[in-house]
Amino acid sequence: MKPIIEIKKLTKDYGEGRGVFDVDLTIYRGETFGFVGTNGSGKTTTIRNIMGFLQPTSGAVYVNGKEARSHSSEIVRNIGYVPGEIAFPDLSTGTEFLRSQAEFLHTSDMSYAEYLIEKLQLDPRAPLKRMSKGMKQKTAIVAALMANPSILILDEPTTGLDPLMRDAFLEIVREEHDKGTTIFMSSHMFGELETTCDRVALIRNGYIIDVVSMQDITHRKEKEYKIEFSTENDYIRFKQLDYTVVRDQPQYHQATVSVTSEQIEKLLRDLTNYNIKFISEVTYNLERHFKTILNQKKENETYVR
Amino acid sequence: MEIINVNHLTKNYGSGRGVFDVSFSVHEGEVFGFLGPNGAGKSTTIRHLMGFSKPQSGQTQIFGKDTFSRYNEILGNVGYIPGEIALPAGLTGWEFIRMMQNLQHCRNDERLKTLLDLFELNPSGETKRMSLGVKRKLAVVTAFMSDPQVLILDEPTSGLDPVMQEVFVSFIKDEKQRGKTILLSSHIFSEVDATCDRIAIIKDGKIVSDFIADDLKHASRKQYKVRFSDAGEYASFLQTGEKTDKWEIVKKEPDVFRLVLSTDDRYINDVIELLSRYKVTDFEHLKETLEDYFMRYYKEDKNFGGALS
Repeated sequence: MKPIIEIKKLTKDYGEGRGVFDVDLTIYRGETFGFVGTNGSGKTTTIRNIMGFLQPTSGAVYVNGKEARSHSSEIVRNIGYVPGEIAFPDLSTGTEFLRSQAEFLHTSDMSYAEYLIEKLQLDPRAPLKRMSKGMKQKTAIVAALMANPSILILDEPTTGLDPLMRDAFLEIVREEHDKGTTIFMSSHMFGELETTCDRVALIRNGYIIDVVSMQDITHRKEKEYKIEFSTENDYIRFKQLDYTVVRDQPQYHQATVSVTSEQIEKLLRDLTNYNIKFISEVTYNLERHFKTILNQKKENETYVR
Repeated sequence: MEIINVNHLTKNYGSGRGVFDVSFSVHEGEVFGFLGPNGAGKSTTIRHLMGFSKPQSGQTQIFGKDTFSRYNEILGNVGYIPGEIALPAGLTGWEFIRMMQNLQHCRNDERLKTLLDLFELNPSGETKRMSLGVKRKLAVVTAFMSDPQVLILDEPTSGLDPVMQEVFVSFIKDEKQRGKTILLSSHIFSEVDATCDRIAIIKDGKIVSDFIADDLKHASRKQYKVRFSDAGEYASFLQTGEKTDKWEIVKKEPDVFRLVLSTDDRYINDVIELLSRYKVTDFEHLKETLEDYFMRYYKEDKNFGGALS
């Protein structure tokens, strides 16, 4: 596997704990790589370093083997980039902007742009100033993708898109993935990373906390069920059985148990001896995975103090 | 009592853009959800309510006052979070907060501190340096800090991380408890589901659906997907399982020995009891969401081909 984006010991220190610290990530050719973290955790700072917009305090980023900061103007031409906050140049309409962008990217074939416009239901003839947030976002997406770049850097690209357009956009991302494009995408929506990404990294307070492969998330053997019992007595009696309780909420008479698929039958049989209010499966997904990791982190930190 | 009124509002921007004969009202203490696809006219309607834009025909009122001609009498009691945040240049977060307090003629530092803590916002930096999410938090805090009676929220959580979205939703619920009148435009169905009493959907500038949110929430009705170990178990379950009015088999997939049954919460023990007699390999609760319902209103099939030529 050929590394396309290499982030090596990247630190950008803005003081007061703000910035990114010692970030090490490698994104390989053809990979769709997701990036999550709370507001202010360093996602955009990392992305701006990949684009070569910022001078790292220490460490470096390499894109196709070239150091990003010193090759920024070249990188900007070869990467399709959707920024987190869109500021358009002072041009009248979306159409005019897309044409000027095509010129900048030395592309004359507008067929892919037309395809994207159709797919995203964008009317680019509207004045840029009059465009709603969603329309601006769509225009930026078309501008970033139309020249068929081999690398895409997408900073919260679905913010402001309505659910239908979000789905249309994610379909485009999957099509790009199938074409072999290398994609780096930040998002707050775990669901959209799950359906598009090969790997996902979690950043917190400027540090990478975890990198997980989606394969490991989706192919888990254990299932979790949340059960609420009608009475405290039933709840207490159930807890005496030999199940792994992963979450316990005595105040609601609720217990969440982890079982393998072979154990499901036994669980249902056992449950006939109790009065239950509801049972529902807790799907193990990316959100749950990261929440678990963050909780472990917090516990460890409390012990250190 | 009706606090917010939109009466036959029309604003035509040409080429089918704008809002056309839009009418709705929001009662005191109500959370009103305002949904629709991108470009449907949500922000246009909201900007009229804020008095930023003059209707071509019709009227918008808050507290019975026309919002365009009498905005200065109203705005002191209206908290507004715009869909796109544009902060004045060259200010720190603190300077912006003080500026807004002057405009609102209200300085309640105790409430301000509560909000800063709740939304984990440190406004000391320059606004120019703030990330989208942090700017969003600043807009949230400044909209709520004077404790206004009416809240007009245009996609307030777009750009907020999931933790903050949760904080925001519980905050809105608290404000509702305190009797606030709230208009909420959002693309995030879970937050609409969790907060709104009534919902209107706007599409192509027209209200296409208006209903009470509770009508949609069949909260006690649940669907379960059940998979059996083999064809024999599946068939034998169906023999007994179909003859009841306690649940309904809504989907059958015999080739994978799987079915979906729909039942009411009060029959769940009966369902478990019956299932326990069979070899079940998978048991999953399917969530019915507002999203499924709304998506059909969102579908579009406009043709924009050749727009660049």
